Amino acid sequence: MRLLRDLGRRKLRSTLTITGIMIGIMALVVFGSMANKIDALVKGGSEYYKDKVTVSAKGGTMGLGGVLSTRMVDQVETLDGVDVALASTMMLLSDDASTVSMGVPPMIVGSIAGSDKGRETFKLNYSSGRALTPQDEGSNVVVVGSDLSKQLKAKLGGTVTLRGVPFQVVGILEPTLTAPDNEAMVPLAAAQQLFVKTLPNLVADKLNVNEIATGLVVYPKPGVDPQKVADEITAAVAGVTPMTGKDFDKQIGSATSVLNAILIGIGLISLLVGGLSVVNTMAMSVAERTREIGIKRAIGASRWRIRREIVVESSVIGLIGGLLGLALGFFITAMGNDAGRDAGTVLFDLTFGTALSSVAFATILGAIAGFIPAWHASRLDPVTALRYE
Amino acid sequence: MAILEGRNLRKTYRLSRNNTVEALKGVEISIDKGEMVAIMGPSGSGKSTLMHILGLLHAPDPVSGNSLSDGPAPELRLAGENVAALSDNARTRIRARRMGFVFQDFNLVPTLTALENVLLACDYAGIKGKVAKDAAVEALGLVGLADRGGHKPSELSGGEQQRVAIARALVNKPEIILADEPTGNLDSDRSAEVLALFRQFNREHGQTIVLVTHDSEVGEACDRVIKMRDGRIRDAGQRAGTPVMAIPAVAVPA
Repeated sequence: MRLLRDLGRRKLRSTLTITGIMIGIMALVVFGSMANKIDALVKGGSEYYKDKVTVSAKGGTMGLGGVLSTRMVDQVETLDGVDVALASTMMLLSDDASTVSMGVPPMIVGSIAGSDKGRETFKLNYSSGRALTPQDEGSNVVVVGSDLSKQLKAKLGGTVTLRGVPFQVVGILEPTLTAPDNEAMVPLAAAQQLFVKTLPNLVADKLNVNEIATGLVVYPKPGVDPQKVADEITAAVAGVTPMTGKDFDKQIGSATSVLNAILIGIGLISLLVGGLSVVNTMAMSVAERTREIGIKRAIGASRWRIRREIVVESSVIGLIGGLLGLALGFFITAMGNDAGRDAGTVLFDLTFGTALSSVAFATILGAIAGFIPAWHASRLDPVTALRYE
Repeated sequence: MAILEGRNLRKTYRLSRNNTVEALKGVEISIDKGEMVAIMGPSGSGKSTLMHILGLLHAPDPVSGNSLSDGPAPELRLAGENVAALSDNARTRIRARRMGFVFQDFNLVPTLTALENVLLACDYAGIKGKVAKDAAVEALGLVGLADRGGHKPSELSGGEQQRVAIARALVNKPEIILADEPTGNLDSDRSAEVLALFRQFNREHGQTIVLVTHDSEVGEACDRVIKMRDGRIRDAGQRAGTPVMAIPAVAVPA
């Protein structure tokens, strides 16, 4: 109470300092949430691609690019190290360029349910409805990812339109924080029908629709190095590029860790500026209160008490700034995600850990910033301080 | 019985490299328990410096080894215990628990109410909670400000502020109260009130009080006047109203 009154004594200065901390923490929360989201995406991807080889047409990656044939499945399955292979057909939900932005754009993914023969370990949970089954082949049904379901306003049992074709929603996924959040999973045949329409007529006429695939997912036999399987595929099948989990980590992981470092760096720099303004505020407030410190020392306040008083005050400045910055950051990330969801991009993942550490960081920063002025104040000679005008 | 006894008290202030001021040149002083003493002297006589040393705000110069200002080791006894060379922490603790201070310009903390200012002294002495609150309310009552506890210093008159400061000095029932020009900023009526308060505590509670002043009316209100000049005690005075007793000999160099 007494402390808040002390802060209130210099309203403008305290407000400005708290605002400085607030902006720093807000930046840390926003950029930190962005980094969290990217991390989760990458971690999810890394998890998904870990034990398998993904085959794309030459020049493509992650099962996207040119057109392959489902007949390649049989060819690949004869290879030594291969346990199971399956065909998938993927495409962007929309060709609209504006949906291409950070994160994973909304995708349509088609494969025959169960064709992994139980090899897929990436776990999907359903917030409502059910998974696709092999019996769904031939019908237009869809399982919608968590973020995409909000964008498409998908309701279980309702219909959503994918590339102009109505699909019945049979399941909605729980958030995974990675690629499936933005996926519409359909039976392979349905995906093939949608895909062929994206191709120019000249190309499409030459293809057998039932054999279209954009990628293969290959599960090596237990104990076989995915890299060895990838090499086998390269040698045996012409015109394809295999990708292993290690390739994914190399390509995506290293790029995103640099991005994350930049994001966190920006947040920390803004905080440093905020921290220096706390040092300034407390140094001025100590100078202003020299006489008061003299009084307190004279009537029996120990050096330690004087230091504590100032460090606590600057910590409270940090804490208030941190809480306000967290509130503002929460508001911005929530708004950003709401706005981004309509465009299919969820940018932020504000975790409890990020929130807590931001506020803790602000408080500790405040305490450290207060320490220099506090030390100075505690060394004042009470008699000299008393005479200070 | 002497509550405060000083011997060989010297204080040299170094203003710059080659400019030092000898504020105290070897002072001997003895103040009895229950005495109300005035220390008087013109500006620059060293009375404030003496007060700061008696109040443990400054330490007397130790034996320096410098032949110019060297003398016997200083001695400062508070109730018999030598406190001349205590650490800052130990001196601070004594100031908080065993001494009370009153200053010329009141020196209340401007953001705190009168009651909180008094409570501050309890807090520093390690007294907290209801005990502190009761003591602070009682102290404010003793100085006649029971109904002004919630006011900030800026809302009080000079006389009232000084009475709050006296309540703050009294609240821990210290062994000794040191007052530096307590009436210096007050008109004569308010001065008389403040002096009457000191006199009352001295008479009713046997409170030892040391006042530094250059107001001779204040001196006249005290039991004894110690006169200082040029960093030395010129006249240790005699306790009025008591039989003449042996005052420790005071060295007055020629």
